[in-house]
Amino acid sequence: MAAAFPLGWRHVEPLDILSAAGRDFPRGRISEITGTRSSGRTSVLHELLAASTGRGEYAALVDTKDAFDACSAASVGVELSKLVWVRCGGNAEHALRAADLLIQAGGFGVVTLDLAEVAPAALNRIPPTAWFRFRRALESTPTILMVLADHPLAKSCSSLTVKTTIKMPPKRAVFTGQAPFLLLRDAG
Amino acid sequence: MFACIHGADAARLADSFSPFVEMVDEKTAVFSVTARQLGRLKSAQAAVAITVEAAILAAQNLPGYTFIPPGQEARVLGALSIDALPPDPELFETLHLWGIRSLEDLARLPDDALASRLGARGLWLQRLARGAFERPLRPRISATIYEESAELEHPIKLREPLLFLITRFLDDLTARLKSQSLAAAALHLTLNGTQRTHSVPFPTRDVKLLLKLVEHSLDRQPPEAPIAKIRLELIPTEPRRVQHGLFTPAAPEPEKLELTLGKIRGLVGEKNVGYPELFDTHRPGVARPTGALLPFRYFRPPLEARVTAERLWTRMFQGKILQIAGPWRSSGDWWQPGDWNRDEYDLALSDGALYRIYLDRAPKKWFVEGVYD
Repeated sequence: MAAAFPLGWRHVEPLDILSAAGRDFPRGRISEITGTRSSGRTSVLHELLAASTGRGEYAALVDTKDAFDACSAASVGVELSKLVWVRCGGNAEHALRAADLLIQAGGFGVVTLDLAEVAPAALNRIPPTAWFRFRRALESTPTILMVLADHPLAKSCSSLTVKTTIKMPPKRAVFTGQAPFLLLRDAG
Repeated sequence: MFACIHGADAARLADSFSPFVEMVDEKTAVFSVTARQLGRLKSAQAAVAITVEAAILAAQNLPGYTFIPPGQEARVLGALSIDALPPDPELFETLHLWGIRSLEDLARLPDDALASRLGARGLWLQRLARGAFERPLRPRISATIYEESAELEHPIKLREPLLFLITRFLDDLTARLKSQSLAAAALHLTLNGTQRTHSVPFPTRDVKLLLKLVEHSLDRQPPEAPIAKIRLELIPTEPRRVQHGLFTPAAPEPEKLELTLGKIRGLVGEKNVGYPELFDTHRPGVARPTGALLPFRYFRPPLEARVTAERLWTRMFQGKILQIAGPWRSSGDWWQPGDWNRDEYDLALSDGALYRIYLDRAPKKWFVEGVYD
């Protein structure tokens, strides 16, 4: 997976390590991607969805804040026809319930719960038992539950946490051309 | 024997003889008859023959009632012009050049020589001319409507009795579909004159699944008044045939997935569940990508912002602008509602993130559309 992350200033080391060790996100477990804006968390998510749908699996994305960009996802190879997209309009409770229903339905390669940018007050209302429930429901399935958030949420229920950080100062963004007609070529 | 009636009233007359009627055109009806029924035909513009096509030719071209005894088709039809046959301008021109004017002339031509010169089409026309072309009757089968309805003396106020009634309807209708090797593609439920439609993503006869779909619909949108009139219709289609492979990746069971999505629709709204789709347009966010793009996250709705040459403020964040690229001007759909006209910029902010902002040129307002991530 690591080769697919030309992320520039984004921190890609954990994925490099995973790849080098020949490992992948564990199936039947909860994994988390955490990080700040522009740290590359969405890149990791898109690559995971592209890998899963590329294998012919179905994936589901529970999009709490309605932030998904189908255009950039399709450009990295996500097969949109195999992706169930649930928009929750900012309601974290609905997102958790929807993720629960999708896990119970079974048959998905990846179920993604995108809780990034959700207000801390709403995240604090998620009972810890919810994550235990997810872990229990996933145990005998080949589904990866991927939680995307600003900070770790599943705590001990998560089998793998990938933390993406801004490694370099943003002045490393590569623009070409003459001002004022600069063109963003790469983010690194 | 086959009978053919030609006239304005052909369909109605033919229906009085047989339920299996082939309508050749609006004025010509063919059906199978028995010897006892022949007497009733004698007053009509009709013909009776051993083959369907001979009966049609005679009824359409010979006056009054014609009975063609078996084996006499070529003799009876022989006097007709070749223009009585199904039109084929190219072939008819050749036949005219040969001096062929009547069906008798055509019928006399040797088979092999005709086939070598005019091909299968010519041979087929000759068999028609001889009245020897045999084909089965193709009766029209009116589309069956798979529906059940009831008008209740005492309106149903509770959900359970209503579902009980719907289950009974579904049992009957799916049994009828099964007897015809069909399945349901959609379900129309009309309660007190208000129709709700449930499209099933795959053809099914599973009563439990159909009932669950109805249940979810009733949960999402309960009836406004006690139910006095109910009508249930299943739209028939060919059943689903799927061959599973040993190495096919696991996929959600369609029945279970549909029920799950039905529950989620009840939770987040009908329009918030589905598959993303891109369009052939230049509209930002829904256009098909032309190359690899940086992963992006939207703020929906876009955040209203205040921008100066050095800083950016929104209700969620603010920061110093370190780098900026742009503008990229785009506009479209000006001829219809939902048009856009904007200047886009990418900017690196001091919080470390890279944002896409745009100036909406109509109200001259700045918005942060999202963040590259």
